[in-house]
Amino acid sequence: MKVTLISIPVRDQEKALKFYTEKLGFIVKKDAPLGGGNRWITLVSPEWQDGPELLLEPAPNHFEPSKVFQDALMEAGIPYTQFDVDNVDEEYERLLKLKVDFSVKPTEMGTVKFAVFNGTCGNNIQIVETL
Amino acid sequence: MTFYQEKLSFIKDDLYSNDKQIQTVIETRRFIDNNFEKDLKLDFLSHVKFTSKYHLQRLFKRYYGLTPRQYLIDKRIEKSKEYLKKGMTVTETCFAVGFESLGSFSKLFKTKTGKSPSKFQKEQVSRSKLDGNF
Repeated sequence: MKVTLISIPVRDQEKALKFYTEKLGFIVKKDAPLGGGNRWITLVSPEWQDGPELLLEPAPNHFEPSKVFQDALMEAGIPYTQFDVDNVDEEYERLLKLKVDFSVKPTEMGTVKFAVFNGTCGNNIQIVETL
Repeated sequence: MTFYQEKLSFIKDDLYSNDKQIQTVIETRRFIDNNFEKDLKLDFLSHVKFTSKYHLQRLFKRYYGLTPRQYLIDKRIEKSKEYLKKGMTVTETCFAVGFESLGSFSKLFKTKTGKSPSKFQKEQVSRSKLDGNF
């Protein structure tokens, strides 16, 4: 078995696609219709295009418990998904200029530095730099 | 303050309050990053950090979740992928990242990435050609 895919629940796939590609900088790997207006959209990192794919999963719109869970995480400020970056401070400044909303500013803790922002489609996202 | 921020503050106080230890492991990791191609021994690292070998190993594992040796190997494999992509030969790459035997490098590379270094390199080359042709 191989780990190749991680899913992130999103409220609006098109909006998420724009945010994740235009602001976060991911690249579309797959985009296929799934019926009912849903799509199978996966993204990869530009610098690791054969790495794991991120699936923009529309579950909260079709499965109530998924929506409830997502809302609870959002309210508690918990990031369920995190991405590695080389420099949290630079990424923070870059995203601030793109009007991305942060709930945790760059913070050092032990051997990492991290920050948390609103992914605009129902999720808190954490970016992490290993110190 | 959100639930998450409260938890962070608790974890920071509970697990990450020893600045001296944290500084030691961060510097050890940086040292490995800057010297991965050398014949690194934990004895030497612990000497640099004025601490015992076993203590340093335990601290590193505690804060990074893997031993300095495992970290060094991962670093070397990551670097070797970079060098192979740039067109360095397998033998050159093996020695450039600090391995002493081509056999053990190839075996380890395959275990970690699923392919041999030469297969990895061929795929990278054919991929860049494909990108250009289509």
